[in-house]
Amino acid sequence: MRPFELTAPETVEAALASPGTFLAGGTTLVDLMKLNVLTPQHVLDINELPLRGLDTSDGLRIGALERMSEVAGQPGVYPVIARALLQSASQQLRNMASIGGNLLQRTRCTYFRDVEMPCNRRQPGSGCSAISGANRMHAVLGTSDSCVATHASDLAVALVALDAEIRLVSAEGSRTVKLAEFYRLPGDTPEVENDLRPGELVTEVLVPRLDWASRSTYVKVRDRQSYEFALCSAAVALHIEDSRIVDARVAVGGVATVPWRLHAVEAALRGAPATPEAVEAAASVGADGARPLADNGFKVSLLKRTVVRALLELTEESR
Amino acid sequence: MPSRLDGPLKVSGRAEYGADHNFPGMAYGYVVLSTIANGEIEAMDVTAAKSAPGVIGVYTPFDPLELRTPSLPMFGETWVPLQNRDVAYYGQPIGFVVAETFEQARDAAMLVDVTYRERPALTSLEDGLASAEEAPPGFDGSPQTHTLLASGVDSIEDALADSPVVVEATYSTATQNHAAMEPHSAVAVWDSGVLTIYSGNQGSDLQAMEVAGALALDPSAVHAVNPFVGGAFGGKGRTSTPAFLAAAAARALDRPIKAALSREQVFTATAGRAATVQKIALGADTDGRLIAVRHDSWCSTAMDRSFVEPTSHGTSREWYATPNLALSQKMVPLNIPPTTFMRAPGEAPGSFALESAIDELAVALNMDPIELRMRNNSTAPPGRDLQWSSKHLDECFSVGAARFGWASRSPHGRTDGDWLVGVGTATAMFPALRFPASVEVTLQADDTAVVATSGADPGTGLLTVLSLVGAESLDITPDRITPRLGDSALPPGGMSGGSTATASAGTAIMIAASKVIDDLLVVATSPGSPFQGMETSYADGHVLAGGRTMTFGEVLRAVGRPSISAIGSSAPGEEMTKHSFSSFGAQFCEVRVHKWTREARVSRMLGVFDAGRIINDKAARSQIMGGMIWGVSAALHEGLEIEPNGRMANADFAGYLLPVNADIPEVDVHFVQHPDTLHNAVGARGVGEIGTVGMAAAVANAIYNATGVRVRHIPIVIEDLLDD
Repeated sequence: MRPFELTAPETVEAALASPGTFLAGGTTLVDLMKLNVLTPQHVLDINELPLRGLDTSDGLRIGALERMSEVAGQPGVYPVIARALLQSASQQLRNMASIGGNLLQRTRCTYFRDVEMPCNRRQPGSGCSAISGANRMHAVLGTSDSCVATHASDLAVALVALDAEIRLVSAEGSRTVKLAEFYRLPGDTPEVENDLRPGELVTEVLVPRLDWASRSTYVKVRDRQSYEFALCSAAVALHIEDSRIVDARVAVGGVATVPWRLHAVEAALRGAPATPEAVEAAASVGADGARPLADNGFKVSLLKRTVVRALLELTEESR
Repeated sequence: MPSRLDGPLKVSGRAEYGADHNFPGMAYGYVVLSTIANGEIEAMDVTAAKSAPGVIGVYTPFDPLELRTPSLPMFGETWVPLQNRDVAYYGQPIGFVVAETFEQARDAAMLVDVTYRERPALTSLEDGLASAEEAPPGFDGSPQTHTLLASGVDSIEDALADSPVVVEATYSTATQNHAAMEPHSAVAVWDSGVLTIYSGNQGSDLQAMEVAGALALDPSAVHAVNPFVGGAFGGKGRTSTPAFLAAAAARALDRPIKAALSREQVFTATAGRAATVQKIALGADTDGRLIAVRHDSWCSTAMDRSFVEPTSHGTSREWYATPNLALSQKMVPLNIPPTTFMRAPGEAPGSFALESAIDELAVALNMDPIELRMRNNSTAPPGRDLQWSSKHLDECFSVGAARFGWASRSPHGRTDGDWLVGVGTATAMFPALRFPASVEVTLQADDTAVVATSGADPGTGLLTVLSLVGAESLDITPDRITPRLGDSALPPGGMSGGSTATASAGTAIMIAASKVIDDLLVVATSPGSPFQGMETSYADGHVLAGGRTMTFGEVLRAVGRPSISAIGSSAPGEEMTKHSFSSFGAQFCEVRVHKWTREARVSRMLGVFDAGRIINDKAARSQIMGGMIWGVSAALHEGLEIEPNGRMANADFAGYLLPVNADIPEVDVHFVQHPDTLHNAVGARGVGEIGTVGMAAAVANAIYNATGVRVRHIPIVIEDLLDD
């Protein structure tokens, strides 16, 4: 960790006025500073900013500084979001980590976290160590020849499934962006992870109202039961009427470079009977386009299985 | 008195571990590690590091702290850093930066610029099998190739060929690290020519000797202090790199020095458990009686070849009755961090292979796996005349089967909703050993007593054992005993390792107590004393004679003595010529595998153990429970992934998985208590290691029962159980 200057602005305006790296829960930033992956000279502690609050009256509005554990425990939060939060990290981390920070967390790729190793995302042009290295945890979807790192957030997968937006403010003003469009595929520029502009701050997460998302869930498959990143996860919501699927939302995590919406699976589910056979058939297209690496080929199968498991939880619930 | 004397201190944060010690003027050291696995350091540019804020010393092979290679009878030689420019593994200590604060030292360490002349590295056990070497003789001097043949049998292959039922398979186990909660660390302070070192270890007198050897000091000039250890498991037997460097830097800089490895550094800058490959062939008759056992083992080792993980000798050598037995042990030197003792070295990975193979044989015979094990129960190790001193493995299995509900097991598992459910079992054995140990027992005039030894309590409960056995031996209540350990100034207690401490120190306590009572009675009856010339006896903390009683404190006060002490020593003796000694156990578990996503989760665990007499039920149960959890961890979670360049891909607690609470169900531990006084006077055998033995196989066997998939390597992960 390099020496740095720490200030704590008390208003959003003050935070936006001085250049620096924002510190909320610190669960990503401090970790990566200790590893010398991030070496900010000026850190702005934004925890005193008035970016709190949770409103469930019309969809969901979540202040960016709400802690993960606070949101997970609130009534009125869609099950898929609450379950994604509760299966993230550990209770201690959830007590610290903010909602805004969660969406901006960096990848857990072992090479990104080790400054001795080449990594295009950390050091553009240095090469990708994972493509020919230890890549069991890495992505099979949305990858490029420059980067195969997964996006680590569970919450983002649930939010993308629900068409969530985030509000961003900067000295120039504010804007609202669809979360699914906020994240960038690595392509040739994996160092550009999202659409966040310099000096811009996430202030709020907005989830549009979707009443049938009361039937939703998040299934996370991992190497241990808690405190571990997903090998594959699925955020699903089903609108079922008279044993038929009227509408569906499906997104997966742990398998892609960004939270990955499965529109083709959703299309296959629409109008289908809420049966195991139909669900399996729909999930079978989920991994189309996957590019497995040496150690993670199993994710192609696991992705479909995870989606089936999550959907069946909901169809069985409906019986 | 709490059932664990150290418990209240530990849970309230008042236990002071080595690195918790602070001294005026203390500086902080940070270790620099290599980033190649094989080669030579051509240059180290320390200009930027030396001029970084707060830096007071930068040491490298070009400007080293002088250290000599210490050698002890127990460990042999222990490597010391910075003495040459050779690099033999990725993450090898190659430098030491000392600064006014920890952060300054860490920051400066990252500025050290190293130039290497790199050579190709061999890091894969699989790739190295072709160049495997014969392992040197085992700890007891026995050759690594061992063959026992019934009369008229020419070879193990003949015996297998003549067996009606044969199973043969290759098993492998992963590289592991002890991953103790307390990273290797030390605080070193010089005062008037004496070095005091505060550092977690498994025997303070051994550490004092190693540090004295490394610094070319008289052993009396080193004082090792070690009252609490945050986990050791074999990984803190030898003195650690931070301890050597802190001691040497403290001398060079004339300041107290604190040094600790980061969590990531612990994975390479210490030593871990070897990866193993094991080929097993079992031949049996159709009734399941073994005719032949062949167990060939390979293990990784560092280029210094300093440790062999003895998987075949640790298991098949002794576990089952068989007329024909062939064992071999080879090692594969690799550019990997050193390997060393780790909880049940040999037995833990060896039992995964052997107990999986036994399960495969049960399947081949269509026989209940407990029945198969009982049919091959031994009264002595195969080929040896010395019978087991006290073996109740059959009782462990019968009690265990009843407690676990084994009778309701189906050969093909069962389903519960979306979960495939299976049960598995395995034998556990661990040799009953003792190491030399001395303990001093002191009776004091205030009617309390001190029981003191230099040995370590690395979380095992030895402190409480000193108190309980001391109380029993002196016939007083435990609250009147002050136990002391973890200080090299105390009588040499040897090493807390090999599951020996209770048997070793316990026996020494009994000897010391008996001596000090004799001495007390001499004092009590000597001229001018209260019982002058009388025929006395001792009971209940009292001296008795002629209808009169006095407490030992009253006697001491009456003769004007503050205290009276005696030292007792114990070591393995002639019992070794009369019997074979081991602890025994039966492991059971139930595993659930999800129908769709194939995660394997352990849902029930039971271990029933025959470990002689249990001194402290809670501590013994905790030890066993921890061991069993280690077994689950090895089965489903733990494994270091070594990359071709020698880097470890998952060397932190996010990547090197250990089970969390949610992975572990309630653990049922039961002891069948048969005191083994043929082994030692206390009747206790060790419980530190046996808990982990067999557990990984029990998990793998349960997974087979649930899914029909036989996985012959650990850890077992989701992709092993996907069937498409």
